[in-house]
Amino acid sequence: MNSITADRRHFEDLVVGETVNLGSVKVTREMILSFAREFDPLPFHLDEAAAKRSLLGGLASSGWQTAALTLRLLGDGFLNKIAAAGGLGFSDLKWKKPVMKGDTIWATATVAELRRSRHHPQWGIVGIDLAVRNQRGQPVMTMRLANLVEARDPETGMQAQLVQPYDVEQGGGQ
Amino acid sequence: MTRWFEDVTIDEPFPLGSHTFTEAEILAFGREYDPQYFHVDPAAASQSHFGGVVASGWHTVLVGHRKMVDALDAEEVRLRDLGQEPGVSGPSPGVNRMEFKSPVRPGDTVTYMLTVTSKRPSNSIPGWGLLFNSLDAVNQRGETVYHAELVGFSKLRDFKMPRRLAMLQALTKVPVLGKLLGQRS
Repeated sequence: MNSITADRRHFEDLVVGETVNLGSVKVTREMILSFAREFDPLPFHLDEAAAKRSLLGGLASSGWQTAALTLRLLGDGFLNKIAAAGGLGFSDLKWKKPVMKGDTIWATATVAELRRSRHHPQWGIVGIDLAVRNQRGQPVMTMRLANLVEARDPETGMQAQLVQPYDVEQGGGQ
Repeated sequence: MTRWFEDVTIDEPFPLGSHTFTEAEILAFGREYDPQYFHVDPAAASQSHFGGVVASGWHTVLVGHRKMVDALDAEEVRLRDLGQEPGVSGPSPGVNRMEFKSPVRPGDTVTYMLTVTSKRPSNSIPGWGLLFNSLDAVNQRGETVYHAELVGFSKLRDFKMPRRLAMLQALTKVPVLGKLLGQRS
């Protein structure tokens, strides 16, 4: 028994269609520069003058920074409230609009898919649709995440194997 | 890509280098971006199925991105030293697929490799081409850490803008007119 996740919501407690408001974060100039220095040192994320001359027309955050800030909102608002057991990855990450200095981004997470793991009856897989918008309500990023969640009852998972032959399992999560 | 669209070769692996993940940086990244107990708390992490602290998958991906930026930068310098003009890359529209395959533990060394698997001229942005890239991260035991399918833009060297398009583009630079034209498109 895992004492950290024992009292959290488990796989059986999740419902497809459930939407969680993850809150917002303001992206400051200092945040853009410090993230870019560490992970994405391109001129239009590092240098305001170069950014003004670029296609983006001003200092914009790295798309990966938008993703990392959203991940933090997702952790605080959802993953740390369920018996999450690691990420399997994501698909269809689309950067729709640059996030400019001073923008506030806010995110929602929607439970889009629930299925039992075929090889690991102790886990289920939750598909989460993330939608991120700026303060004007314009979409800036969307993606579908896949995450492992502990199941309360591994036995149900054993039976589920028989009725879900299409379930493709990937790795052990990160 | 620092190569012109026409010069990009398909299925030729381009090494991006390696990175060793220390426990301190795994915990620091977890605290800032992914504060789940198996990324931030070694004692609590021992209760998880990982059996100890592991790096956030996103941490391994962001380090991979950094390695790619640095490697392409170095390639640009190399091309200039050969007297060639490097190509121009554009902002990425997204990631089609990212699969986290095995966790990264403190002390693990991850090696990153980029491969362009296909390319085609962009339908929507004249003068640019789309590159479909695979990024593979492998640990010191040869196990795949993650596999990613990314999309990127690269400029065409030999592109000549059709006259009608060039005129339209020049007109959009006129402030008021540009706004009107922008609204129409």
